[in-house]
Amino acid sequence: MNQVKKSPIDEVGKRSYSTFARINGEHPFKTQVPGGRVEYKARYKKGGKVAFFNFELAKEMGLIAKTHPNKLNPELEREILETFSLVIINEYDVINKVKIPEEDIHPHTYMATRYLQLQHPDKTGKTSGDGRSIWNGSIRSGGVTWDISSCGTGATKLSPACNINKKFYQTGDPTISYGCGLSEVGEGLETLFFSEVLGKNGFKTERVLAIIEFEKGLGINVRANPNLMRPSHFFGHLKQGNISSLKQIADYYIQRQIENKQWPQTTFKNDKEKYYYLARQVAKTFAETSAKFEDDYIFCWLDWDGDNILMDGGIIDYGSIRQFGLFHAEYRYDDVQRYSTTILEQRQKARYIVQCFVQIADFLTTGKKKSISQFRTHETLKFFDKFFIECKDRNLTQKIGFRKDQQEILLKNHRSLVTKFRNTYTYFERAQSKRGVYKVADGINRDAIFCMRDILREFPQIYLTRQAPLTPVEFTEIIKSSYAKKKDLKLTELRKKQISRFQHLYMELVGAVEKETHTSMNHVLLELTMRSSVINKYDRVTGDSITYIVQKVQKLRPKLSAEELFELAREFSSYQNLNPDQKKVTIDIPHRYKNIMQNLYSIVRDCREGL
Amino acid sequence: MKLVFYSGGLEKENSSLDRAFVELMGKKNPVVTFIPSSSYLSEQEFKNFVKHYSKFKISRFIHFPVDVPFDKILFQEVMRSDAIHLGGGNTFYFLNSLRKAKLLPQLRTFAKKGGVLTGLSAGAIMMTENIEMAGYPEFDRDENTVNISNLSSLNLVDYLFFPHFKNSARYDIVFKKYSKLHSKIIYACPDGAGIVVNGDELRFIGKCYAFAEGHKFSIN
Repeated sequence: MNQVKKSPIDEVGKRSYSTFARINGEHPFKTQVPGGRVEYKARYKKGGKVAFFNFELAKEMGLIAKTHPNKLNPELEREILETFSLVIINEYDVINKVKIPEEDIHPHTYMATRYLQLQHPDKTGKTSGDGRSIWNGSIRSGGVTWDISSCGTGATKLSPACNINKKFYQTGDPTISYGCGLSEVGEGLETLFFSEVLGKNGFKTERVLAIIEFEKGLGINVRANPNLMRPSHFFGHLKQGNISSLKQIADYYIQRQIENKQWPQTTFKNDKEKYYYLARQVAKTFAETSAKFEDDYIFCWLDWDGDNILMDGGIIDYGSIRQFGLFHAEYRYDDVQRYSTTILEQRQKARYIVQCFVQIADFLTTGKKKSISQFRTHETLKFFDKFFIECKDRNLTQKIGFRKDQQEILLKNHRSLVTKFRNTYTYFERAQSKRGVYKVADGINRDAIFCMRDILREFPQIYLTRQAPLTPVEFTEIIKSSYAKKKDLKLTELRKKQISRFQHLYMELVGAVEKETHTSMNHVLLELTMRSSVINKYDRVTGDSITYIVQKVQKLRPKLSAEELFELAREFSSYQNLNPDQKKVTIDIPHRYKNIMQNLYSIVRDCREGL
Repeated sequence: MKLVFYSGGLEKENSSLDRAFVELMGKKNPVVTFIPSSSYLSEQEFKNFVKHYSKFKISRFIHFPVDVPFDKILFQEVMRSDAIHLGGGNTFYFLNSLRKAKLLPQLRTFAKKGGVLTGLSAGAIMMTENIEMAGYPEFDRDENTVNISNLSSLNLVDYLFFPHFKNSARYDIVFKKYSKLHSKIIYACPDGAGIVVNGDELRFIGKCYAFAEGHKFSIN
């Protein structure tokens, strides 16, 4: 395909994939928040090939019929390329009068949105935002409005490089990496595999709709989510004290949340109620999200600029996302100029984001921007702290394997018991190697020495079998990770006490459920055995495993069609679905994939305790 | 030795074999270990296994995948259990995993010491001298995805076992030919049928067939 062509017309005179035509750069954000974006004309980018298309997501978004086979046909491929294979005509092109054939230029403009980014020297969001992405548009289907954006569509003036070096870059300029406006297929694949797994496991996340491949491993990665707003979209205007843009963006966001039925309350007496409700929703979301990140060992590099996360707590930009196999509490990513936050510091960063939203609510209500420190003890922050702990308790009861109704019983009637157990659990989870902090490939770390998933998986079945607790030596044998050295595993008096406490409190929780649900201890333990074997599966993905998997898939890629890649990603995420209530469906995959999948499983297994 | 060979099929079809299995354990509240042929999605299989055998008032189960590393504490419990069930799946992959985990001699000892060992399809083939039957007939065989050439397995009985047998001419041709060339009897069982071994006693449940010296015999 060398030029933009009109899509074929079917017999009744309509395009078979007419919904694609609505993704044309137009987006309500453009008119509702005029100060929140930069607009670019765009041209068709030649030489693209559809490397991946997410049929499942496309069906959810109403882009293709629910009955559409998971197979590309020439017409669908053409639609995907016509819609998403584009590159912006940026400031460099305009200044240098780069000649572009008129027929290649799209009729509408595409926006790059402005948001705060701490790596920009300005630190107020005046120059920062989508540096190599544009928003393709939004579409509504099944009562949900979806935002669609693409990464790798050219260098915008909002990239750090453009502002640090004070020059406009040509798209693809080899002298600059991130600022050149391009993206690689590998980045798309990493997002694809990670986001599909995390999405299946209850995390909110951006998802990959399509990957378009070009020469030299370059690609355009198309992402979708029901609302792609980040806290940082608000924070730029907040920093600048620009109340009119801040109000516009808040109203835009609130309208979308209501439209998508994400908020229980949809009408408000006045602005004050509305904006404080927004702050409360952010508090709820970020307490829940940061607790889940901590409990599932997700490292997301939350920071004060609110750049690496969506407003609904969804994960965006998988470049720095990791899932640790163990609670590596001191891992820090080395970003050349500085180290990232640790997994434990994420809670405070999330709290600070909430504090900013209280400041925003106050600003929008009173018209005066007060110092953020004034809101440190606001009731919304107190709610955040309380709800965070509640989420931690709930997450732990879920991890043990209790059913939802059993979790409710424990949290309602035996909360202090759950908290006591959590304290003991935390003792083991956060135990660290005596080796201390050391350099790893992309940062620093201090190893965690215990694998909590192993003890949660094995304890109920061993207790069920022998009807007696484990000895301290046995307990240690099960829980020890491959990082633990002999000196880390010394059975001190304190550790012995904690081992006994862990088992005692665990069985007290079992006893509480047994009593309240009028069942037998064996029955509760058996159910925990079955559920925990799924939740705490031996092989769970980590950031490292995703990196190796993507390397493996890239090696295979020349021989993998877009459909085959879709099936692989689907099969892989199904295998990593750790929801015990989800009935697993074995996808009948061809023999050739089986070998590939076996390879992927063994990568996950080998990296299961890593970063 | 106490062994049960399940061919496969629906729950209902296997009720006689199940009863025989429970009788063999001869104990109240026994511990039963489930060893899946592969850890992949084995949690669901384990759930189904538990659901099925809970009907026989068994409430203590162990889930023990062998293609992932395991610790010796859980393994000790497995060896102490009253029965071990070897699941169905790809026989080659299963044998390879058991061998890599050095479990073949341990399972042999378990059976010889009086533990009840049962197997379904691939698991049942595993209890015989070798798993050659998994590669037969060509139109209905397991893929040797792990490319193993040493097919010797638990060798607990002096016959071969073929599960999911369909009483048809094309199967007959293959097994008559095979039995002409090999000295061991092949017991071929359709789904729902199977064999119960209790010491020297060999009991066939359901309609079973034997192939020996190029001939086919009907049992029951």
